[in-house]
Amino acid sequence: MWHINKKTFILVLISLFIGAGITGCKSKKKLAREQAAMEYQNKVETAKKNLKSIMEDNGFTLREKERILQDTKDMNLNEPEILSMIREAEEKIKLEKAEIRAKEEKKAAKEEKGTKETLEMYFNDIAAAPSVDMANRKANQALDLFSSPQVPVLIIISRSGNLVDYDRPTTIARYLNYLKDQKKNLNRIDNIQYDENGKISELELIKN
Amino acid sequence: MKRISYILMLFIGFGLTQTLSAQDEITPERKRAIDSLAMEKIRDLGKYISIIGSKETPFSEAKRVIDRTLELFVDDAQMGVSSLSREEIKYYPVREYLERLMLLNYDNVTIQWFNIQYISDLELQPDGKYVGVITIYQRFEGTSDDGLVYKDTTKKDITVYVERKETQIGGKLIGFWDVLLGDVRVIETMK
Repeated sequence: MWHINKKTFILVLISLFIGAGITGCKSKKKLAREQAAMEYQNKVETAKKNLKSIMEDNGFTLREKERILQDTKDMNLNEPEILSMIREAEEKIKLEKAEIRAKEEKKAAKEEKGTKETLEMYFNDIAAAPSVDMANRKANQALDLFSSPQVPVLIIISRSGNLVDYDRPTTIARYLNYLKDQKKNLNRIDNIQYDENGKISELELIKN
Repeated sequence: MKRISYILMLFIGFGLTQTLSAQDEITPERKRAIDSLAMEKIRDLGKYISIIGSKETPFSEAKRVIDRTLELFVDDAQMGVSSLSREEIKYYPVREYLERLMLLNYDNVTIQWFNIQYISDLELQPDGKYVGVITIYQRFEGTSDDGLVYKDTTKKDITVYVERKETQIGGKLIGFWDVLLGDVRVIETMK
């Protein structure tokens, strides 16, 4: 029958091993490719889900939305659909930011208007107080709006362009006494500056 | 290089001069504001004097108002005092005048200032200050509980000094007009 010598047998064995090895490598690479493709697909799906959640307002704060958007951008997915969704999400966040800013500005303006009106009221009340005690009481209440009794008060006497002329600077404590003594309130509030606690840190008045 | 430096310096110098001249240029509108500020200080003085003289003013308030009044004056300013009963006009340092006014031996005192006006407009002096004179009429009425009444009206001239100064407030340079009052001279005393 077949006579296979030892040499031939070894050669056949080696060929079989090499053949099996190549097949194994080939299937490993294929597996890795498939795995990578699956991971990429998962990333794409996650990115879509993230971006959709930004667009659908799923109860996220603006900061969370910004973080989600950044995380999605960091995935570096070069898919036209994802890139388009990123642009939409960016636009939405931009709009939301503008809305928040507008609301904050409106709130600040309202608060400033409120403080201004309150302060004007105190000034009028102090100037018209029927007694020293009453004027002092009102002055103490007014001082609560300020960082300290030493807050500077600047009184503009004339303004033309950038050139502003002031009266000698004073402090709020002294100005309130002035109103009490002189019984007249001839200046109106021109500008108020606040400290980080929302108290008045500088007051600018202008002669009527 | 040297030439460029010269040109640069020339430009900086020109810019600085322009800024300074803008500061120094007193337009009629600015001048009106300064005139009005000085007039306001005189009215304030009149009110302070009436508070200090009034027997209804608590002692602590009167003392505080004296301090505020002194801030209106130059350091060595004097206040003239006259009376219908004597020819002589006495001059006191302002603090002494105000303290005497506070302690006047009447039970009721009213002091009113009226007809306040410039008799000599604020004029720029060589030292950079503006100086003017404002006239006021002071109506004084002191009453004692026993019915004794003293009344007079005095015409007084007050010298006014106005000077532009600068100070830093909250890191900002503020240019302000400092109004200070000089001597208050008695011109005429009448019933």
